[in-house]
Amino acid sequence: MKVTIQTKNNIVYITIQGSIDSNTAGELQSHILEKLGSFNRVIMDLTAVDFLSSAGLRVLLMLYRQLSTNGGKVLLVNVSDEICDIMSMTGFINFFELYGSIDEAEKQFI
Amino acid sequence: MKAESKFQIFDAVPDSLEPIRDFIAAFATANNIERKKIFKLSLAVDEIATNIMNYGYPLAGIDDGTIQVSIGYQDKQLKVVLEDHAMPFNPIEKGMPTPEDLMKPVEDRPIGGLGIFLARQSVDLFDYEYREGKNRNIFVVAID
Repeated sequence: MKVTIQTKNNIVYITIQGSIDSNTAGELQSHILEKLGSFNRVIMDLTAVDFLSSAGLRVLLMLYRQLSTNGGKVLLVNVSDEICDIMSMTGFINFFELYGSIDEAEKQFI
Repeated sequence: MKAESKFQIFDAVPDSLEPIRDFIAAFATANNIERKKIFKLSLAVDEIATNIMNYGYPLAGIDDGTIQVSIGYQDKQLKVVLEDHAMPFNPIEKGMPTPEDLMKPVEDRPIGGLGIFLARQSVDLFDYEYREGKNRNIFVVAID
């Protein structure tokens, strides 16, 4: 897994490549927490994520909770059909906003 | 497609998760199984393998455990069996989240407990047996 985190116009952009499993989720979580600071608007690009397990869902849950208490939110971009299925099965889908592109997600923050 | 099977033994460490998924995907792809079914099977195996690594072996006090992954295709069924010598643990006995649990707002949910649920939901048949000192977790996917 490879993760890139950039901040622009008060939005934190998280781009992830590869697999989010119980081997990589901890590293992802600490990277995010380290960079998040007091920012509360996050766009997470999952275009290049080929696998996500419950460990990945736990990272999403952590981020959701952290941002909610801070009045913010995370928008997910390009979630694959397979990952969408996992989010549906677990009910996570009801609590996240999914967008087809970064542009579309950015508009929600304007 | 002809019947065939393969197995490989992996160290029960988190670094083995991706190789285990790759092992399953390579076999399934070679047998023309569709991508979505491969993903779900890999997810089910990943979740149970994670439990074996994170809880099964540590609770048994074993620090050099292994997981044998067997995969076979026969009679329109793709079957994976995980075998380990860790603490006996039957995922079927563990309570599944209720539909009410799954409708709870994300912020009210206990962290964790989703892995076994996902594993069992992602295959057509999930079975468990404890035999000759080994846990056997069995996953079956029907192929049309």
